Amino acid sequence: MIEFRDVEKHYDNNVIALDKINFTLKEGEVVVLKGVSGSGKSSILSLIAGLSKPTSGEVIVDKKHISKLADHFACTYRRENIGFVFQKYNLIPTLSVKDNILLPLVPVNLKRSELESRLSEQLTLFNIEEKKDTLVKNLSGGEQQRVAIARANINAPKIILADEPTANLDEKLSLEFIEMIKKMKSQKRTIVIATHDPLFFNLDFVDRVLNIENGKLL
Amino acid sequence: MLLNPEILTLYILNILFVLFSSIAFIMSLKIVRKWDANATTKLQYSLEKQSYLTATIIKYIFYIKLPLFLFFIFTLDKISFVLPGAMCGAGVVNASEYATPLLFLKIINLYLFAYWITLDKEDMQDESQPYLKQKFQLFLLFYFLFVVEIILETLMFLNIDITSVVDCCGAIFSTNDDTYLSLVLSMPHSLLLTLFYGNFILMYIVSKLTQAKLFSFLNLTFIFIALISLVAFFGTYIYELPSHHCPFCLLQQDYSYVGYLLYGVLFVGTFEGLVIGFIPFKEDELQKRERVSLVFSFVYVLVVTAYPLSYFIKNGVWL
Repeated sequence: MIEFRDVEKHYDNNVIALDKINFTLKEGEVVVLKGVSGSGKSSILSLIAGLSKPTSGEVIVDKKHISKLADHFACTYRRENIGFVFQKYNLIPTLSVKDNILLPLVPVNLKRSELESRLSEQLTLFNIEEKKDTLVKNLSGGEQQRVAIARANINAPKIILADEPTANLDEKLSLEFIEMIKKMKSQKRTIVIATHDPLFFNLDFVDRVLNIENGKLL
Repeated sequence: MLLNPEILTLYILNILFVLFSSIAFIMSLKIVRKWDANATTKLQYSLEKQSYLTATIIKYIFYIKLPLFLFFIFTLDKISFVLPGAMCGAGVVNASEYATPLLFLKIINLYLFAYWITLDKEDMQDESQPYLKQKFQLFLLFYFLFVVEIILETLMFLNIDITSVVDCCGAIFSTNDDTYLSLVLSMPHSLLLTLFYGNFILMYIVSKLTQAKLFSFLNLTFIFIALISLVAFFGTYIYELPSHHCPFCLLQQDYSYVGYLLYGVLFVGTFEGLVIGFIPFKEDELQKRERVSLVFSFVYVLVVTAYPLSYFIKNGVWL
């Protein structure tokens, strides 16, 4: 499903974020990338999402050479295959919950009935039906994270990427988030979570924990 | 040396074009020499980023160059007022030895630059970018034509002597001289019209047979036949003067700037028809381009035909 072959990622200021990384993730797997800040976790996520290209090596997703895609094809790939959950949610505060969740479907040009049906499914799945018309800026942190997950999930992506998703949440809300990840796993999504939150390291539904240190897999 | 706001604009644009196209040329050279589509090395990823930037630079230069041709013609027409003897752009072309080759080169470049833009579009629509190396190789060649065009244009404006008397279009496009041009302009109208309408009808028939190469070839011949018949026959009805054969006066206000319309639709129609013989388009894209080509060429045929017909209806005689 996802394959990294000898992937190196260097940034302009001579920082080596990833150093000859090799790994393979299977479809439907939940994988936790464990490591301290600056270890290279986010670089892996952005390479899987096609947001950046490796300095050398290859990133292959579903037999497609993501790292070789031109920018406009990478956009299409992202739109069709990737759902992203960010540490700071990255929601649009002046839009309602409903509009934020529907945002990834704007370029897809679906029928209204299809939009309604997908929205309703996500609102139910993540238990935010009663908040659907509320502006996002008026929600609590936990509610905002649920909206962010619903938004990541609405285009039925094959892959969900989460970058430090619980860094802004307390333990109770973090456990809620973990429950939501469980729900997404049941939908056969491949999920990659970059975190240093210990709550994730011993979960029964997590298939693998990959340790990263100084851009290398341990 | 002649300088007015239009010429100054062309100079400034040419300086910018030379600067950016030279950067694109150096990058294209590097891409052509070192590109390896299957490599996953640092160099290849760097070339992939550079190829996108380079193609964008070239594309926008050519996008600007296409309508700039009309501005160039407009400039020729405008400066004709300061040249003694000149009545339109033809007089300006006659005022410099560099102008005629420049004009021909500009027309050829129009088609080549439009071809590059089309090739780039096709390349960008396919994930494997099948024409990537080819489009940069072509640019290396087009760059020289582009630079020669800019040099000729500069030389032309620098060499125009506003104190010398030049021939007007009536003298340049006369049928009474012993020149090849006079010979062409004196061709029998029946032969010209048979070739003109015959070529268009053939284009229509061939489009139904989906023969891309033949359709492309017929569009090439249509460019020449359409231009010759315009100058030798249809133009005289636009001017309502049987002895006036100027291709430039059509661009003036007196004739409702109809030349811009005619040359514009002729270019789009023949380019769309020509290009299908050089790029293997998918079937639906091929048919779309054939349709566009025929529609534009048909508009051209309709407009030029309308002039002699309306003259005959008004006056009851042909010129």
